[in-house]
Amino acid sequence: MATAKNNGWGKKRRAVVVHGVRTPFVKAFGDFLKLDSIALGDAAVRSLLDRTEVPHAEIDSIVWGGVILPSLAPNIAREIALDLRLPASVEGMTVTRACATGLQAVTLAAAAIERGEADVVIAGGSDSTSNAPINLPQKAVHALAPLAFGKASSPADYLGVLAQMMPISEILPKMPKIAERTTGQVMGESAEEMAGRNQITREAQDAFAERSHHRAADAIGAGRFDGEVAPVEGHRGWVHADNIVRGDTSLEKLAKLRPVFAKDGTVTAGNASPLTDGAAAVLLMSEEKAKALGYAPLAAFRSWAYVGVDPADQLLIGPALAMPKALDRAGMQLKDAGLVDMHEAFAAQVLSVLKALGSKAFAEERLGKSKAVGEIDEDHFNVHGGSISIGHPFAATGARMVTTVANELGRTGQESALLGICAAGGLGAAAVMEAVA
Amino acid sequence: MTDLLLENQQARKIIKTLGLPIPVPEPLARADGPYEERPLDNKTVLVGGNGELSKELAHTLSVAGANPWVVAESDAALEPYAAAGEAWARPPRRVPPGDPAEATRVDAIVFDGTSLDSPAELDQVFAFLHPWVRKLDRSGRIVVLGRPAADAQNPAQAAARAGLEGFTRSVAKEIGGNGSTANSVFVEAGAEARLAPVLRFLLSRRSAFISCQPFHVTKKAKGDDAPQTQPLAAKVALVTGAARGIGEATAGLLAQEGAHVVCLDRPADDGPCSQVARRIGGSVLLVDISDPEAPQRISQELKSRHGGVDIVVHNAGVTRDKTLGRMTSDQWDMAIDINLGAVVRITGQLLVDKVLRSGGRLICLSSVSGIAGNRGQTNYSASKAGIVGFVETLGPQLAKRGITVNAIAPGFIETRMTNAIPVAIREAARRMSALGQGGKPVDVGEAITFLATPGAVGLTGSTVRVCGGALVGA
Repeated sequence: MATAKNNGWGKKRRAVVVHGVRTPFVKAFGDFLKLDSIALGDAAVRSLLDRTEVPHAEIDSIVWGGVILPSLAPNIAREIALDLRLPASVEGMTVTRACATGLQAVTLAAAAIERGEADVVIAGGSDSTSNAPINLPQKAVHALAPLAFGKASSPADYLGVLAQMMPISEILPKMPKIAERTTGQVMGESAEEMAGRNQITREAQDAFAERSHHRAADAIGAGRFDGEVAPVEGHRGWVHADNIVRGDTSLEKLAKLRPVFAKDGTVTAGNASPLTDGAAAVLLMSEEKAKALGYAPLAAFRSWAYVGVDPADQLLIGPALAMPKALDRAGMQLKDAGLVDMHEAFAAQVLSVLKALGSKAFAEERLGKSKAVGEIDEDHFNVHGGSISIGHPFAATGARMVTTVANELGRTGQESALLGICAAGGLGAAAVMEAVA
Repeated sequence: MTDLLLENQQARKIIKTLGLPIPVPEPLARADGPYEERPLDNKTVLVGGNGELSKELAHTLSVAGANPWVVAESDAALEPYAAAGEAWARPPRRVPPGDPAEATRVDAIVFDGTSLDSPAELDQVFAFLHPWVRKLDRSGRIVVLGRPAADAQNPAQAAARAGLEGFTRSVAKEIGGNGSTANSVFVEAGAEARLAPVLRFLLSRRSAFISCQPFHVTKKAKGDDAPQTQPLAAKVALVTGAARGIGEATAGLLAQEGAHVVCLDRPADDGPCSQVARRIGGSVLLVDISDPEAPQRISQELKSRHGGVDIVVHNAGVTRDKTLGRMTSDQWDMAIDINLGAVVRITGQLLVDKVLRSGGRLICLSSVSGIAGNRGQTNYSASKAGIVGFVETLGPQLAKRGITVNAIAPGFIETRMTNAIPVAIREAARRMSALGQGGKPVDVGEAITFLATPGAVGLTGSTVRVCGGALVGA
């Protein structure tokens, strides 16, 4: 039996990102139809293990994220460790924080390492919209309980169960949809409302989406994601690349799409992030461990912040509060961040957040600051596209962003980067990453 | 306690279908749950008038979540709304003067008449509201803002200012059938910052049964803290007569905003009073307030168990109705002593013992009968009118300590007391108001709770009627 590891509990130290890899992001109900969240997680982590050749015995734990959790095995992290035949000692936990889940998994791993709980942690997330469980209404579940637990025996019992199943419309399975539990508002409706409230035009949204697609297509064409994306075998064969990006899209094409969430609306399938299947994994270590094992760390975290706003107001404005908070914690100004990467749930949402960050009035009233947080230079913002073009498997997005930004810091020589993510429930997330020399 | 015309949908339908000449009252939209960050979320509020309060108005509406529509000739009028609109994502929309489109509806209308200088300028309020008054949605709100006539520089200015109050009272009577209310707010120079909480309250559903009333926002009392949610957190409140009716509703609402409520009632009402206290997480104090020892006992109890009190609601009251010639001296004494004498004695004791803390709120229950007079209620009216005098004088005296003193005068409220009135008289009393219906205890409770909040610091010495715009009284 291996001796228990003393990971240096309580020592002040730095967690570093060693490597990150993800599956291709593909349209839901397509090439990954037969891969559920666990299978996608397996694929991403397997690629991470292969590419980094990290000794399995060094791994302390997996912190995984999922938004649509498989109800029969919700602790995906542990299932991945078991599926991949990692040592039984590799423990696992699964976290969920809507679209900020991936970042949550990564920052939890970083926190554990910095606190000395662990030296080597795999963090990430996966989601398969194609495998969203379709739930029976509570009424049907309760009526069927006597059958499931063997309490019904006589024909009368069975008739009793049947009698409770009327009317039939009340026991039919409900289609899953991305609606706020408290407000009932579908997320696209929230984005539509934000577009109106912040006066974001259809043209501005389409222009943003076009840019996202062009940048992502350029990055893919230039092989920029080759180190980050590993092929995965689906039911129709191997998938090597993201399949949502449209390099040939144009303002004219985007302008033809009909608004989806309101008759005179501005949010279309073209300027919103699509339903996506995929997974992303990040390998984090303590700086000492990374050096001892001979890795060249890519980046570290200077700070992070999670906030909540009223979902009934502006559901997806959270990053406008979280990003300044993370900057404050890092002792930085927005202009100090050489790169800014924001999750693109909807173009309307990103542009609303940018508007708020650039507003003096917003800074005064909502942040208690005398100056606007600042404008973001387009050249340093979502440099390789984002969720609109690359896709958005809910729990994988944060880990994708961390990986892309970590590599980008090394590639460009920038010192630090700011990440921002909006999430259902009125949540906002942000992190400041720094290059590790 | 059922109001057929309000609650029986079939009766309402039949009357409407047959076109019977019976005005069918509109059910009032009421608030549910504690104070919200945005009480006016997504409400369309039409604003007009070239007053001095546009900045406060813009900020208050945007923060409260309303969508401001500004009636103006040019976009320059939107300027005060720009910053707040951007910060809270409630951009203003300009509406050109004149007739609105047929299907347009607004949830509230605010006229800023603070710069009116002469009777001729009163035409501004006509020109603004005339095309819009019929576009006000059900349970809508009209608020007219002005400056106090008493502070006017000349009689002509005072005339214009005072005119707004009469205008508002009349428009309230015209829109009442729609469940809508109209009130005026007169803001003393220097008290502008105290307008926001009053506006939030009057424009919200919490003021459902308050109509035709003038509010005077002053800088008299000290205090500038005005939390928007849980405004009564960490406060101790005493409610007399808390076992049932208005007292019970008030105790619940005060607790809902975070106060610890000491529920006071007679020892004979131990059962219901204890139930109220348990339900709202408060405590019980069983005292007969007419007992000469009561003031001391209450004061000591509040001091020793709670370290003092922040909010006192003098709600306990009785009626002993008889025409003057038939009234016994016991009946006279009882009504006067419980409704007025005890209020004066208990308040005095709390002040002498310094049990009422700085920034405190005293709220006494008056009555529309006290103001208007009522046959068979000489004793009751004397006691309830006495309350008006009591708060008028005590308010300014305690202003330096940040304590406000106000009275609430309920009109016809559906309670056990009014349910005992013979049906014909009850029915008449119900309908004799702008809203054409009786109020609920919770309507009075909401008004009391608002006056108990730190944000109501601008109001002191006043008597606020919660009467649905009753036709009697001033």
